[in-house]
Formats: sequence, structure tokens, C-alpha cells
Amino acid sequence: MELKLYADRLSPPSRAVLIFCKPHRLGKLLSHQLADRCKSLLERIPLFASQPTWANGIEFEEVSIELGKLQHRSPEYAEINPMKQVPAIVHGDFKLSESHAIFIYLASAFSGVADHWYPADVHKRAKIHSVLDWHHTLICAVVQAYLPYIALFVSVGYHFNTSIALAFGLPLDPKAAAEGEKLLSASLATIESLWLKGDGPFLLGNSQPSIADLALVCEIIQLEVADEKDRDRIIGKHERVLKWIEDTKNATAPYFDEFSLRHAVGQREA
Amino acid sequence: MELKLYVDRLSQPSRALLIFCKANGIEFEEVSILLGKLQHRSPEYAEINPMKQVPAIVHGDFKLSESHSILIYLASAFPGVAEHWYPADVHKRAKIHSVLDWHHSNLRRGSLGYHFNTGIALAFGRPLDPKAAAEGEKLLSASLATIESLWLEGDGPFLLGNSQPSIADLALVCEIMQLEVADEKDRDRILGKHKKVLKWIEDTKNATTPYFDEFHSLLPLAKEKLKELKAQASKQ
Repeated sequence: MELKLYADRLSPPSRAVLIFCKPHRLGKLLSHQLADRCKSLLERIPLFASQPTWANGIEFEEVSIELGKLQHRSPEYAEINPMKQVPAIVHGDFKLSESHAIFIYLASAFSGVADHWYPADVHKRAKIHSVLDWHHTLICAVVQAYLPYIALFVSVGYHFNTSIALAFGLPLDPKAAAEGEKLLSASLATIESLWLKGDGPFLLGNSQPSIADLALVCEIIQLEVADEKDRDRIIGKHERVLKWIEDTKNATAPYFDEFSLRHAVGQREA
Repeated sequence: MELKLYVDRLSQPSRALLIFCKANGIEFEEVSILLGKLQHRSPEYAEINPMKQVPAIVHGDFKLSESHSILIYLASAFPGVAEHWYPADVHKRAKIHSVLDWHHSNLRRGSLGYHFNTGIALAFGRPLDPKAAAEGEKLLSASLATIESLWLEGDGPFLLGNSQPSIADLALVCEIMQLEVADEKDRDRILGKHKKVLKWIEDTKNATTPYFDEFHSLLPLAKEKLKELKAQASKQ
């Protein structure tokens, strides 16, 4: 059954879902089933078991919906997602929007997805839901804090007008941006003090990443559009957060960088 | 295993949880955390929920916050919960997740903005912000229109065309019920034209009777209290 992913690589939740789906490195050389079998054999060998998790090998077609060109507002896209946002998926004839819902659906519908992304255990799963629910607060904070930086896109040839601000649902307002930054800083402090306190390097003390790690890290990485001094001011003191971002990147290498914001902006420029 | 619900009946997500548990015969102890008395900010409550919000649960020694997560956890952990609340089918479930996610940034956000800035702020010693209230109302109204045009379009009386309610119905209806604390003319302006929504609220009430009314019984009192606060504020 065909899976289409409607995404804008400049949008954090779009990137998160893209990274989550990416094919096995082996899958490019072998058939999907053979790659699966090789992977499960290799994971029994201690040397290979310690390697970073390979992303999930979900085959899909990426359909680019550029927010900057207001493509999300086309009547055609409204057929796909009447909420007019990215990401959205169509799997066979099943349509779905909202990135968290999409993550959970893909983790459940595709048998090759490793359990640590969305554990079957009802308690572990509940904690991941709780972080993802809280994440909606972080989303608001990040978008508000970064709105002034959208102007940076002008310098890299990205068309900017007030529709972009409206597309992100917020007015161009320095006061709102300052409040957003305050909320973002508080959110980073919460992540450090509550969810990166455990034994493992990932949220909730987990030794391997879950969909919550991917969703939140992709959001925070939007800081790459900010000035270095602003970025350092906001995130510099949160060393555990910085380490967690690195660990998440490594766990999903090379796809994390392939779908990075800088890369996406670079592609838009070209 | 003991289940404790830390709730304020004036909080929309708290009510959704209380009604869900009662309707499904889940035994629990209700622990009242009164937001108006800032009880959510106590050090004792921070031990339960460091996010300092309601609702939260403690089930045995498992602590959980965020109402949607709690509803999903209870639906999964208690075998007596009827399937329609949180269907096992991966597609139906995904659609419910999608509505619940949408709820955060739309209905909930609009509703919170509207209610806080038309009255609730006064209970916390803050001034009302008419501009923020207007923005909240705009988002709230747009959300009601979306619910009608997208999710109440199907065959059944509940969201997503379902013939029986899910946790999404309970979460969203409890949010809209907060309009019971607003002035009648404001409530009618915002809600009056949405006939499908009004019917859906009735259907959800009936599906969870008598608990729905039981847990909404404090709203008329809250409305009177807010009227007093607004009258005092306008005298200053």
C-alpha cells in the first residue's frame, strides 16, 4: 500500500516524520524483507547490537508542500488535509494529519518499527503521550520566539510576506516574540529538569529514542535560523539539552542531517 | 491498585476525566486541587505533578499528567472500558489522536484565551485583556465551525461519524461547556448558530448521564462568582 508524505522540510514536524520513516541503509542495496532479516541477525551480534538504531525503513513518496509559496492553501491540498497544514499522510486511501498522530499510526501500522520508538508497554507509552501533549506548549513558544528570524529567510531568497506570519498563526509582534522566547527558555529548563534526569540519554530516562525525542528535537533545532548570539543565549546554558540533541542526531544518522533545516534552506536557495 | 484523580471541577479536562471514569465504572478517589486557591502551586502538589496543572493521576505508584494521555492510559489499563471510547482499530484510533492533537492548538487555546481574558484573570488578581479575549473568541468560533464542517459530518451523532462517543468527544465537549460561565448573550453569540454542535453536546450528555450533569454542577456558581468579580472590577 502506497504511503505519501506531504511535507515542508522547513517545518519541524515534517522533518521529524521524514527522519522517522527513512529507509534502512541496507534497504537501498537489498530488498526490504532481506534487509529486515539481515538487521535482526546483525543485532544479535554484540558488535553490531551497539550500533545506532537504523531508522525505520518505511517506504514513502515525499510530496513537497511549500508553506512559503502558500501551497498548503491550494484547493488540491485541502483535499488531502482540510486543516491546510503540514505534515499530512495518505496511506492507501487513509488520510491523516497532526504529526503526533502520524507518528503513532506509522509506528503501529508498520511492523518493522522498533519498539523503543513507541513502546507497547502501557506505562512507557503513557509517558510518551504526556510529553507529546506538553510539546504543543513548546510548539507555540518556538514559533513565537522565531518569528522575527523568519526575516532571515529573505536573505536566503525565501519569499517573505505577512501571509507567512499568518500561515504560522501569529502576528509580527516583538512583544509576542519576547514572551515566546521566555516560554521557550522555560520549556528547555523543564526538559532538562524533568525528562533528561534519568539514566539513559533520551527523554524519560530511556536508553533509546522514542517519537517524543524526534518530535521535540526537530522543534528545538529550528533555532538554526537564529543569530548565533541569540541561539547561544537561549540554549547555550542547557548542556544536557545540547547533548540530547547530539544523541538524537547520532541515533538517526545520516537522516537527521539530511533533513536538517540548514540543508532544507540550502535546497530552497538552489 | 488505588487510583487517585487530582482535579478541579472547574477545569475542563478535569471534568472529562471524572465523567470518563464514572461512566466506565472505574473506581477512584477524587482529590480536589482548587486552582482558585492556588493549590496547584503547593510543594505537595508539585510532588504529584511537577507541571503544576490539573488533572493528574496516581495509579499505584505510577504518576501521569496531561488529560489526553490520562484518558488513553485509563482506556488501556482498565479492561472494563468499552471499546468505543478508544478503539483498538489503528485507523479509528489515529483519527481520535488527530482530533485530540488539533484540540490543543485550536479549541482549547481559543477557549482558554477567551475565558481567561473575559473573567478568569480577575480570580487570579490579573486585569482583563479585551484584545486577547477577542483573539480567543475568534479562534474558539473558528474551531466550532471546523468541528461542524469536518467532524460532525458523518453518519453517527459523534465526532468522526462515530455512533458512540470516544474520548475525543468528552474532551472537546467539556471544553465547550465552559461557556456556561459566560454571559448568556455572549454564549449565544458564540455557540447559538452551531446547531450540530449543540445537538452533539446533548448526545454526549445523554451518553454519559447522570455523570455529565453531576460534574458540571459547579458552573452556574462559578458564573455568579465571576459576575461579582467583574462588577467589582468595573467599579475601580
